[in-house]
Amino acid sequence: MPLLDKLRAIVGPAHVLAGIELSPYVIEGRTPEAAVRPGSVDEVAAVIAQAAEAGVPVVPWGGGSAVGVGVPPARAGLVLLLTRLSALVEHEPGDLTATAQAGVTVAALQAALRARGQWLSLDPPDAARATLGGVLAANASGPRRHLYGTARDLLIGVTVVTADGAVVHGGGKVVKNVAGYDLPKLFIGSYGTLGVIVEATVKLRPVPDEERLVAVRFERLEDAGAAVRALLASDLIPNAVDLMDAPAGAALGLPPAPATLAVGFDGLGEQVDWQVAALASVVAPCGGAKPAPLPPALWERLAAAARDAFDAPAAMMTLSVLPGVVADTMEQGAEAARQRGLASAWCAHAGVGHVTATLRAEGERQDAAPIAAVLEDWRAAAHAGGGHASVTWAPLPVKSALPVWDDAGAAGRLMQRIKAQLDPNNVLNPGRFVGGI
Amino acid sequence: MATLTAGRKPVLRRELEALVGADGVLSEPDELLVYESDGLTLFRALADFIVFPTSVEQVSAVVRLANREAIPFVARGAGTGLAGGCLPAEGGLVISLMRMNRVLEVDYDNQIAVVEPGLVNLHLSQAVGPRGFYYAPDPSSQQACTIGGNIATNSGGPHTLKYGVTVNHVLGLEVVLPDGEIVWLGGRTRDALGYDLAGVFVGSEGTFGIATKIVVRILRKPQAVKTVLAVFDRIEQASAAVSAIIARGLVPAAVEMIDQLTIQAVEDAFGCGYPRDAAAALLIELDGLAVAMETQAERIVAACRDAGAREVRTAASEAERQLLWKGRKSAFGAYGRVSPAYMVMDGVIPRTKLPYVLGRVNEIVAAHGLRVGNVFHAGDGNLHPNILYDPRKPGEEARVVDAGAQIMKVCAEVGGSISGEHGIGLEKADFMPFIFTAADLAFMQRLKDAFNPRGLCNPGKVFPTRKSCVETGPVAYRPHAIETQGLAQRF
Repeated sequence: MPLLDKLRAIVGPAHVLAGIELSPYVIEGRTPEAAVRPGSVDEVAAVIAQAAEAGVPVVPWGGGSAVGVGVPPARAGLVLLLTRLSALVEHEPGDLTATAQAGVTVAALQAALRARGQWLSLDPPDAARATLGGVLAANASGPRRHLYGTARDLLIGVTVVTADGAVVHGGGKVVKNVAGYDLPKLFIGSYGTLGVIVEATVKLRPVPDEERLVAVRFERLEDAGAAVRALLASDLIPNAVDLMDAPAGAALGLPPAPATLAVGFDGLGEQVDWQVAALASVVAPCGGAKPAPLPPALWERLAAAARDAFDAPAAMMTLSVLPGVVADTMEQGAEAARQRGLASAWCAHAGVGHVTATLRAEGERQDAAPIAAVLEDWRAAAHAGGGHASVTWAPLPVKSALPVWDDAGAAGRLMQRIKAQLDPNNVLNPGRFVGGI
Repeated sequence: MATLTAGRKPVLRRELEALVGADGVLSEPDELLVYESDGLTLFRALADFIVFPTSVEQVSAVVRLANREAIPFVARGAGTGLAGGCLPAEGGLVISLMRMNRVLEVDYDNQIAVVEPGLVNLHLSQAVGPRGFYYAPDPSSQQACTIGGNIATNSGGPHTLKYGVTVNHVLGLEVVLPDGEIVWLGGRTRDALGYDLAGVFVGSEGTFGIATKIVVRILRKPQAVKTVLAVFDRIEQASAAVSAIIARGLVPAAVEMIDQLTIQAVEDAFGCGYPRDAAAALLIELDGLAVAMETQAERIVAACRDAGAREVRTAASEAERQLLWKGRKSAFGAYGRVSPAYMVMDGVIPRTKLPYVLGRVNEIVAAHGLRVGNVFHAGDGNLHPNILYDPRKPGEEARVVDAGAQIMKVCAEVGGSISGEHGIGLEKADFMPFIFTAADLAFMQRLKDAFNPRGLCNPGKVFPTRKSCVETGPVAYRPHAIETQGLAQRF
């Protein structure tokens, strides 16, 4: 029996997409052979087992918001849609934990949790579209990671389907657990290359009484950088410290300024009031203007400020550097682009050294060479700042002009050994990840 | 595994001495005996050599030698572990990291420190304290245990409720892999490139290699701290108060529970101000901004009163706060007053299951004709029943072990885990099937094979056991001097 017929037998004919139905699932110009929508964990396992047997690669797909990340696939294979697995399996407020299926959108999950006074303290961009499983697999995060960390600080249990179609659990449902290897850590940020996340258990937090976002304008980026260092050295406990250059600030509709620092606070009302007042005296010596309130709707747009700066971006890159050099990195990066006649937009979760940059090609001509050259300059700047940088979106000609992922060195060889152990036949999202994994 | 012949041993000793110096190798039987156990004295195993490298190059050279000879090796810190994780279960080399104990670098701007694995946990907080910083993970053995050992077990402590466990504070590791290769996993920045290998390495109980440098986050000390003692006439009320606090939207830095047997032992020994007739007490700590600290404390007090607390008071001074914490931290030393020996259990349950599980623990221990004291991290649901016994009475230790296994089963049945912070080691390897399927364990084994394909690095741990030359009981628990002084205890 052909693979598609076997898949129809597993998930039902209505949930195997082919032909024109595949247009939303084209990956970097490559059309998959089929897309399947399993309705249960067992169906996911059966689908992967069949694909593995047929030697067809499997591309897990949640909301599709990170599908442009990584090396273009040699073959798009079978797109595995997790969207039907969207149940909130368990939420016990007294335990501050919840278990949900991978296909639930972050927005839907947060709405259900908030209805009972709690939330998952992870705020990636595109929450209406991004799914829990996808956010974990891509290790997506947002401004509140400054205080609450990333998926590695919140994921306590995971269920995956492995490359041979087995269902495997790691971690558990309790907030503290050292039994067995920490499989949740292994799957976070693994981009579907080691297993398909089908269910996750996360730590929750109570919804704070109040939350407020304020903006501080600076005449120079370096002054804003000094303010970030002063803020980190102060007694204040902000939940977000986001730095934007002029184009990123403009994308959010902020008043024009060479640099804007968006700072968030949460907690009891009096804690928020006191901190906003104290912030003014922390930033003023560095040249910061009086903090001005920002509308709460801006929270969810902060992480994507650089991306949204240009209608037609030429490339995007994420840089991970030491917090102390974020402003310098932004300044050097923008200058490197200018020298090649290109405009750029920059934003950062500055307190944790997570920087996002977008490049715009001037005019009609989209020559890959100067774009790739700027990205190489940016990567060099990240290395100088003690970190690394990877392309998170670019057209194919640019992606073929430089390595999409940074070089993981000796650790990269260990990663390849892990991949070879856990997916020896290269079934799961092959060729997309670091070091050719 | 190769077994060392009598003739081979002197040759290897000379080779090891050439690598780490003549004063860096132990092989006399009386010397080896010191390293036959960790904090769980139930298990004993003898190494052929104890080796004390002073650099990553030496660690790598020793590991390469072990590979050439096909003999097993295991890293060891202060030996305060409680699951037999650092025992040489199949003989071979114990690689002690105690001579690699420096703080290599502190970067206050970026709030990170680079340390060696043999550094004592508390010494890091002491080193950065004058600048207003501290290292958050605070296992109760922090006066003795090492950061490298904390990496192996992913150690917790009372303040993990708010601040997380060891892995939440580790950014990067320089590691000697089981084949001797030196690699960096993660680094100094918050986000790793590729798989989060540092995150996977932490808690791998020494089976993925040996960490030789560790990049940790250091935190600013909080502006203010407030400690509340709530006293209850029934243990169920104390359990309910834990959930009530959380339901009011509060996440304290720590919520510790102490039961009546423990309170009485502590009061007999140290007089810390806990009421002797209370069924249970909660020690709750808030930290953070000075502003609104009173408001938060009022919410805590209200939650405890609503749950039935007969008395709730906040420590009026730093001296009173220290005294209350001394009562909590010296509980283990105090058990010596009421029993010749005890064995500490470590299990985790969903917080809402506390009343049920504490009841079951008491039933199980009573059915074995034994007594139990409970002092534990209630806010995390991390139980530490301490079963009291007399090792001189034939069969009593075996009953303790059996009761412990039943308690672990209960933790598993309510959706919990068989270890919150001590690790699996030798002690609980055979309990792994309580919470993991054969497929789960097979997957973990393949992950281990990627790091440790020859199985020479800390064999016989974590997975349900195969052959080993470990001896068990009956040897009584022997308290360390710092325990009897009430300076530290065993979890």
